[in-house]
Amino acid sequence: MTRRRLTLVGAVLLAAACVERLTAPGHCPDFCPSGQITVVDTLLTTSINRDSSYRGYVVSYQSPVMLAAFLPDTTDTLDGRPIFRFNGFGPRLPVSSVDTGQIRGADSARLQLYIVRRDTATHNLRLQFYRLPTTIDTTTTFDAVAAAFNNAQVRPTVYVDTLLAQPGGKDTVTGDSVVVDTVNHRWLLSLKFDAAAARYDGTSDSGAVAYGIRIAADTRASIAFGKGAVGPVLQWYLRVDSLGKDVARNPGVLGPTLANFVFTPPPGPLDDTLAVGGVPSARSLLRVAFPKFIRDSSQIIRGTLFLVPAVAARGAPADSFVMEARTVLADFGRKSPIDARLDDPIVIHPGATDTIKIEVTNMLQLWAADTTHPTVILLRPQAEAQYFGEIRFYPSKAALALRPTLQITYVKQFPFGVP
Amino acid sequence: MRRANRWTGGPAVGIAVVAMTLLTASPRDLSAQDSQFGIRGLGTPGRWESVRSRSSGGAFAPFDALSPLMEAPLADISQLTATAAGGTSHRDAQLGDTITKLRATRFPLMGVAGRVAPRLVISGGFTTYLDRSWDVTLRDSTVLRGELERYRDEITSDGSVGDIRLAAASRLSRRLAIGAGIHILAGSTRMTAERRFDDSTFHAVGQVAEVRYDGFGVSGSVLIGVAPGLTIAGWARADNRLRAQVGDSTIALTDLPRMAGAGLLLAPSPRVRFAGSAAWRSWSNAGPGAFDTWSWSAGAEFGSGRMPIRLGVRGGQLPFGPGTKAPTEFAASAGTGRAFAQGRALIDLGVERLERRGGILTERVWTVLVGLTVRP
Repeated sequence: MTRRRLTLVGAVLLAAACVERLTAPGHCPDFCPSGQITVVDTLLTTSINRDSSYRGYVVSYQSPVMLAAFLPDTTDTLDGRPIFRFNGFGPRLPVSSVDTGQIRGADSARLQLYIVRRDTATHNLRLQFYRLPTTIDTTTTFDAVAAAFNNAQVRPTVYVDTLLAQPGGKDTVTGDSVVVDTVNHRWLLSLKFDAAAARYDGTSDSGAVAYGIRIAADTRASIAFGKGAVGPVLQWYLRVDSLGKDVARNPGVLGPTLANFVFTPPPGPLDDTLAVGGVPSARSLLRVAFPKFIRDSSQIIRGTLFLVPAVAARGAPADSFVMEARTVLADFGRKSPIDARLDDPIVIHPGATDTIKIEVTNMLQLWAADTTHPTVILLRPQAEAQYFGEIRFYPSKAALALRPTLQITYVKQFPFGVP
Repeated sequence: MRRANRWTGGPAVGIAVVAMTLLTASPRDLSAQDSQFGIRGLGTPGRWESVRSRSSGGAFAPFDALSPLMEAPLADISQLTATAAGGTSHRDAQLGDTITKLRATRFPLMGVAGRVAPRLVISGGFTTYLDRSWDVTLRDSTVLRGELERYRDEITSDGSVGDIRLAAASRLSRRLAIGAGIHILAGSTRMTAERRFDDSTFHAVGQVAEVRYDGFGVSGSVLIGVAPGLTIAGWARADNRLRAQVGDSTIALTDLPRMAGAGLLLAPSPRVRFAGSAAWRSWSNAGPGAFDTWSWSAGAEFGSGRMPIRLGVRGGQLPFGPGTKAPTEFAASAGTGRAFAQGRALIDLGVERLERRGGILTERVWTVLVGLTVRP
């Protein structure tokens, strides 16, 4: 009985020790703490120095897409052309388990292509295919294959909008078809190359073929073809000699040994400005003299990087691209390893000349928390070499109103303990 | 003997359960918070009184061995005695037309005393010197980057400064007892300051600090039996300063008050006792916004030691508040007690109604008190 009573008393005592909490509205200054949260906003106009740009991080053949564009401009025309090559099967194919036969030619072939990005404002999109020399490689330039693109098309122009309008996306006359993948927002084109277009030369070229694509449209001709798992594939329908008699053979589909794109005009050379984007991709490094009085004894609540474009952002009008500000793990100049933890992005619209404002609060807070971290901002396109777009900003050497600037809003240390 | 235990233990446990239920039962929107008069100053001074004394307005504190106000009454303790007290305050803070309901549960007193020589009793224990628990929210706006940004601040302090007392007392004669004590002031508060902007582009502010406090004081007291049934008491205390430290840095050094008080006890019969006391504290030493305070109390106790009835009133000033005048307070209290286990254990219950006024703030407080004393 006594034990029960003691347990009861103990339980009630434990319950009594628990305290609820709720806040009371302050009536300042009479019934508020003497200390207040003090917010300071400061513009650091001269804290960014030793900035520089570098190009060549991702080149066209490393890009996960093949860019195609034809965008006439008042000064220049942006012309991007995918080029790709398939190696063949050589001069012979097996006709039985023990014998092979000479490949006499192709009845036809079917080329599959994915359009992974497109401008919804594009109307009457057209694809034109050209046969290219099989010697094309990763160093091939626009000019090197310009002559080949002036030859006759290897097959009739593909009118994509017309094809989409066909029942089931199939053109029974040409044998072409299109499948719309609404989940991944891409189109799968399956194009028939007849015997004339699908010329298999197993003797001199080992069956290799190379094609290039030019696009056109009534407006805004700018798309991207997939590579890799969504890259072009070729299905040959061959004729093979078997004891003097032609037999049909459908060997496995071939993936490209080269998938690249060439374009003109090439990106301008790097100068004093801070370049970001383009193909090959360019990045810029901005070194920040982070003030000690902010780093050591305050809490940053907002940081904004202001960048003034030196020229209007270049690129296809519809191909706005995302530029991101990151920091680096160590400052090794152009080879600085990127700190993957933080990412402050902003969308760059081609043609825009407005001052770019990037919120870099997380980055500044990281620098304040880790004083060994290099205070370097790296600007790069989020998807490198996947857009023609490029922007250039005034560097730290520019006039005060144009140079990169940091605006930092921070809170001073609260005067804890002061009565 | 078993019968006797049943008679005394059962009601005592019942009283304890009722008391603790009173302590814990409260609406959900109440919270832990001390007086808002202490937010801008050093805090809310604690009351150095046992539940028995506080139930009678604090008037008996100078004569109560278990109240840490004076040391001299310790001289009359005949055996090892331990005591503790707990209390829950339900407070309505009225600022203009806004009334906020708040709650605080505290265990402000614990002590043990025992005779170590025929004429010497020593005691150790702690009580609350300054309570520094509060939580203030503020809605306001400021212009940042050319835009009006609205925000909500919440500044909190959770903790207190404790008074650890080591005291000794001796009855020099039938009429005279003296005592002295040293006081180590120690404690800490966990303080937070938060700001959340409506515009989430501005990150939330969150700063935290552990503020440690220390100080030192000495006190002395005397108890004089003037005549049979009439006793007077006098006490004085001096504390040096309260040092506030964050990390290794001293943030503030605040002078603490000198204080003195006196009391009168009149016991016309063993079943009727009256007492009155007054005290002065020089809190204005603490700096601007602090005031010297006077406080007084009067109370009575009726009945035997088995289950007495206690009544009392008290009034006075608070040391911290807005304006040029010290806030005032007035309280009425009542209580009782119950001995059990052949007087080896005592449970005291009390209830107090308090009103504080200063500037536009009025606080009305109900406090339920429970005290437990054990004489093993």
